[in-house]
Amino acid sequence: MKKYIYKILFFTSVIATLVSCNVEEFSDLNSPEVDAFAENITRGDLQDLIGGVLYSSRVSLGTYLDDCGVIGREYWRFSSSDPRFTSDLLGGANSVLDNNTFYLTLPWAARYRTVKNANLILGFLEGQDVSSQFTAQEVNATKGFLKTFMASELLFNLNLVDEGGIRLDVADENNLGPFVSKTEALAGIQAMLVEAGSDLSNGGGAFPFIITSGFSGFDTPSTFLKANKALSARVAMYQGNASETLSFLTQSFFTLSGTDLNTGIYHNFSADANDLLNPMFFNIEGLTTAGARIVQPLFVPDAETGDTRLEKVVQLDAPITLDGLTNDYAVYRYQSNTEAIPIIRNEELILLYAEANITVNPGDAINALNIIRNSAGLGAYGGPTDTASLVNEMLNQRRYSLYAEGHRWIDMRRYNKLGELPIDRPEDDVFSSFPVPLTEGQ
Amino acid sequence: MKQKNPNRRILLLFLLVLPCLVFAQATLTGKVNSDKGDTVPFANVIQKGTSNGTTTDIDGNFSIDVPSLPAILVFSSLGYVTIEQNVASSSRISVTMAESAEALEEVVITGLATSIKRSNSANAVASISAEELVGTTPPSTLDGAFYGKFAGAVVSANSGAPGGGLSVKLRGATSLQGNTQPLYIIDGVYVDNSSIASGLNTVSGAAGQGSTSNQDNPTNRIADINPEDIANIEILKGASAAAIYGSRAAAGVIIITTKRGKAGETSFKFSQSTGWAEATNLLGLRDYTRQRVEDTFGPGAAVAYSAAVENGTLVDYEKEIFGEHGVISNTNFSMSGGDAKTKFFAGVSHNNEAGIVLNTGYEKTSLRLNLDHKPTDWVKFSLSSNYIYSSSDRGFFNNDNSGTTIGIALTATRPWDQLLANSNGIYPDHPNNSSNPLQTRDMVRNNETVNRIIMGGSMNLDLYKAENSNLELILRGGLDMFGQNTRAIFPKGLQFEKLSNGGQNGVSAQGDTQNKNYNLSAFLVHNYSTANDLKFRTQLGLTNEYFDQNIVLVTATGLVASETNTDQATNIGVDQTRVKQEDSGFFAQEEVNYDDTVIATFGVRGDKSSNNGDANKLSYYPKGSLAVNFNKFWNSDSKWDEFKLRAAYGEAGNFPPAGALFTSYNSFSTDGILGISLIGIRGDGNLKSERQKELEFGTDLGFFDGRLNFSGTYYIKTVDDLILRAALEPSSGFTSKFVNGGSLENRGIELSLNTEIVQSENFSWNLGVNWFKNKSKITKLDVDPFNIGAFGATLGTFRIEEGKSATQIVGIGPDPGENGFQVWGDAEPDFQMGLTNDIKYKNWDLTFLWQWKKGGDNVNLTALLTDLNGTSHDYDTIDLDPSGELGNGPYRVSQLGSSAELFVEDASYIRLREAGLYYTVSKKVLSGVIGGHIDSIKIGASGTNLFSFFDYNSYDPEVSNFGGQTIFTGVEVTPFPSSKRYLFHFAVNF
Repeated sequence: MKKYIYKILFFTSVIATLVSCNVEEFSDLNSPEVDAFAENITRGDLQDLIGGVLYSSRVSLGTYLDDCGVIGREYWRFSSSDPRFTSDLLGGANSVLDNNTFYLTLPWAARYRTVKNANLILGFLEGQDVSSQFTAQEVNATKGFLKTFMASELLFNLNLVDEGGIRLDVADENNLGPFVSKTEALAGIQAMLVEAGSDLSNGGGAFPFIITSGFSGFDTPSTFLKANKALSARVAMYQGNASETLSFLTQSFFTLSGTDLNTGIYHNFSADANDLLNPMFFNIEGLTTAGARIVQPLFVPDAETGDTRLEKVVQLDAPITLDGLTNDYAVYRYQSNTEAIPIIRNEELILLYAEANITVNPGDAINALNIIRNSAGLGAYGGPTDTASLVNEMLNQRRYSLYAEGHRWIDMRRYNKLGELPIDRPEDDVFSSFPVPLTEGQ
Repeated sequence: MKQKNPNRRILLLFLLVLPCLVFAQATLTGKVNSDKGDTVPFANVIQKGTSNGTTTDIDGNFSIDVPSLPAILVFSSLGYVTIEQNVASSSRISVTMAESAEALEEVVITGLATSIKRSNSANAVASISAEELVGTTPPSTLDGAFYGKFAGAVVSANSGAPGGGLSVKLRGATSLQGNTQPLYIIDGVYVDNSSIASGLNTVSGAAGQGSTSNQDNPTNRIADINPEDIANIEILKGASAAAIYGSRAAAGVIIITTKRGKAGETSFKFSQSTGWAEATNLLGLRDYTRQRVEDTFGPGAAVAYSAAVENGTLVDYEKEIFGEHGVISNTNFSMSGGDAKTKFFAGVSHNNEAGIVLNTGYEKTSLRLNLDHKPTDWVKFSLSSNYIYSSSDRGFFNNDNSGTTIGIALTATRPWDQLLANSNGIYPDHPNNSSNPLQTRDMVRNNETVNRIIMGGSMNLDLYKAENSNLELILRGGLDMFGQNTRAIFPKGLQFEKLSNGGQNGVSAQGDTQNKNYNLSAFLVHNYSTANDLKFRTQLGLTNEYFDQNIVLVTATGLVASETNTDQATNIGVDQTRVKQEDSGFFAQEEVNYDDTVIATFGVRGDKSSNNGDANKLSYYPKGSLAVNFNKFWNSDSKWDEFKLRAAYGEAGNFPPAGALFTSYNSFSTDGILGISLIGIRGDGNLKSERQKELEFGTDLGFFDGRLNFSGTYYIKTVDDLILRAALEPSSGFTSKFVNGGSLENRGIELSLNTEIVQSENFSWNLGVNWFKNKSKITKLDVDPFNIGAFGATLGTFRIEEGKSATQIVGIGPDPGENGFQVWGDAEPDFQMGLTNDIKYKNWDLTFLWQWKKGGDNVNLTALLTDLNGTSHDYDTIDLDPSGELGNGPYRVSQLGSSAELFVEDASYIRLREAGLYYTVSKKVLSGVIGGHIDSIKIGASGTNLFSFFDYNSYDPEVSNFGGQTIFTGVEVTPFPSSKRYLFHFAVNF
């Protein structure tokens, strides 16, 4: 008997001990918490946080480009598992753009997420004494880099909703700034870029972090400043301010050379499991309705004979059909799923230079357009030189030079020419902008 | 002889007589038999009013010394009516004990350590016996046997893939973001029921477009439990019954008791079931004609179509893929026995099921050993141990954004497409899709393998025992440990993996999950009864539970040669997820019983958990209940056997979902540079558990000697502090945050009726009906109404709005409400009903179970996806277009973007869920076989889902693309079709 009692007492005491213990409190076992950086940010942390900005600025980029490309009637996006690319975006039948569907909500949220990632870093840098980790110049350089990214991201969202406007001040998640009009938004974005430019100018000789190869040639504060100014030039042109555009262009990496079209800054992609693949790439072989970008049928016949920019599309063995849309050309803008996607490049800058000069100095405009034409294997422009004709020629060159890079829809909208975009099915509509997302509560 | 010492004589006399006076004892012997003629081994034989007692031996014989005659002996044994026998002489006694309903009366669990007679219970606790569980037809998985058997549970299969994947939801909506699946406890062990994704998303990209939910459709781990091992299941449906389980009990508790040994001769049982599974319902082909082909697919396709018609090479690919007959084999062997001190039950079972798609299947081996040991009469040890190996091949189905799953591939497949392998086994690329479904079926492996050990031990110790009170100590421990390996292999030879087709050159996703749960508890139970039939039972307990899960998923792309090891690859990604939780608590409960007439219970549980914002703060969950058996007041010959009114109230908790307490970064890379980025969800460190309060009341009625029983229950179940992922303005950088922001209410009725319609020697007919309905409503919402689940308003989505059902389905439409959406349906059924019949004639036994689910809507996108590819079976049928012009296919497509009405479909069904016909060969007939050692042989045939009736445009209305973890289920995207099963049985007891 006794031996039982001892054993029983032993087990009882074991259990009583276990129960009386305090329950252990766990932190997030799976990922770093935001609050941790608010008190202590190191050089290594900054590198990781900047890496996050580089990452998130590419999230849903493909959806944004498809939004612009499909509504701008550059191509159709086929997806047999998601019909909304061919219904909603093309305005098929009674379809309209929804204010709470992935084609809007995903890119919109992703852009603002990058802004938040950047704002958090700015907060970490300002909210504590970082002098032991970074020089004042390094802090400036970092701020300039981040603000440039934020401005670029905000412009993307403004492009989607256009007159609907965006929020500029989103640093405090609990106290968001108001939605501002398109005009105010463009001015705010430009101001942010200019402020970033001045930070970069005081940013010393190097960033306190490394960035991806898409920024090679622009990976120091002084060279990145040239990319910053290129973005400013784009914004100025969107504002319709020709002289400011030209002034920003001179401070940017702009060169009036037909052999230097691709200089610029790029988003990189890789097949690494935690990375993203180039979302704009579909292999031509084995292309099916499951996932394809099929060229709008007028793109090829509208091109001038010999335009080498038609290399951006390829003819398929047989046409592909989905939802009443048929064509046998597919988009081939990128040749692999790891090719980089431009953020801004010299070809656009030359075209911005041409655009700004249509009103300022038409001769320079024609010259710039001819540089683009020649680079595409076309002869010099021989059409009329009145403003309207030059605008059309400029828009046409942008159509082919910047094909599938998210410009056509916005360009046609800037000149009130959305009505000139082709309709592929009788009941289709060309929408001028997306509604503001439902969850913004506007 | 001189009488020298008279004293000595007296002493001698005294010595002779003394035993008669002091030890005036008689030895009584006898035998105990049951009223059926069997001997009753190990029955207790006690002289009334004393502690003098013995037990019968294995043959029912006993021998007991009593100090004097006459004496009263009390015979008792589990399962028999206790009888008292007055013994006047020492001649051999023959006792017959009757098996009685009273003694066999069901008990239900009320405390963590105690049970109560069902007739005294204040809760509508459902229970399923072994006979009900597997008696008609053996289910593929344990939860698959719950259908229609009791009121209050919505059971739904997520997919037809072999190996389960079911959700069980008790009494309506429990939570919007938290757990909705009941807690499973097997022999006191908290058992894990997680569903662990296998990483198919790398290939399917299903979570790419606005939906981040896991669409891999893994098995839920309760599927591992062998139904044949189970003796009884009790279902505590809500907080009023389950409050004593505290912070994990909001979704209900399912308490499973496994079979245990019975003292007596060792009995053996062997059973074999063999049969097959086939698709419940295939949709068939579109009614193609050359003109239609030309209209939809162009002239080239029309030529190919005509050629195929001429050559007879049209292929019905749906049949080709889903048309298999999957062979099923279940083998069980068990034995049980023991003596007065030690009893055992041992079982082994092996299940092997092939699916209706080639290369899918489910295999499970389960070993069990249950031991009970009673070294003395005041202490008892019990051990349950179970080892399980299971392996399921689930194929590659459901939603994708890459055209790669078999289901999506089929939507783009036309009968003239040449997809069959050539003589070398090489598959052609699909001309119309990024994957060839036949090739995918033959080359892709999606396997889950589990090795699992579940062990539970307990000790019951009588600390103190007296006539009117006793004190018992119960110590209990349990362990659930498993390792799960998932292997999803996509070889580089697949059409969509080929580099030349833009593929990833092979994907190998291998996951390893280590799970360890253990729980420890100690209880004190004190019983005290007064002279005037008042009984008190007090329980005190301490509990501690620990959960630790570590999932590592390695995804490798760009495989080397034909290697599948993850290091033999170009790109390797690793995901690790750890979940740890520790809960600790106490409970106290008092039960007062006045002569089985008025029974009142009240108690409280206090819990703390590492999963709460403040880990060491105790949360209290009270309960209280009252049952009154009015029939006890009436005279005993009344027609009313039972007339009980009951009411119960209880509270229970539901933890915030993992990670909801933190705002964290996730790590990513950009062309080799690591980075950490937000992922859009804001956590909250002060988040509270959800609190459920449930009030139920009802009545239990019995008439005609228990031949007619009715039970009715009405409940009001409210959930406060609902954890919501409230939408945030996305410009904040977050798209949602976790908040305690609302309340919901469920009201429901559960009715059940059991009757023995005919009861005679050769013929009996038992009929059981259960009927229940539940209505949920969001009663309070502190955040803006929001859409949740499914794929957005264009296609139909769930929407949480104050004053509306928690599972309403809304979408765009021609007549939207103020919020811009039109209500198109509700996932909640109008009612559900189960009808069981058990008809016995002589040795024949026919049982069948009908289940009717009325109402409840699904979001069905399968039809739409086939429409877009021009391949729907009803593409040319004209019965949807009100103007009668467009075929269903074009009409559905025309509605896309203007109304979601057609994508929300009624998912009602009526099914012959189970049916079985058995013949038992009795012992009498078998007396000549193998020396009469065979007790019985049972042969029969059975089936599952033999008949299904529904008006739903797909394989089966019972489906869920997003699995069963939330209440937002019933979304269909090209699933694995459900199957029906036919089985033949042979069982022998010896």
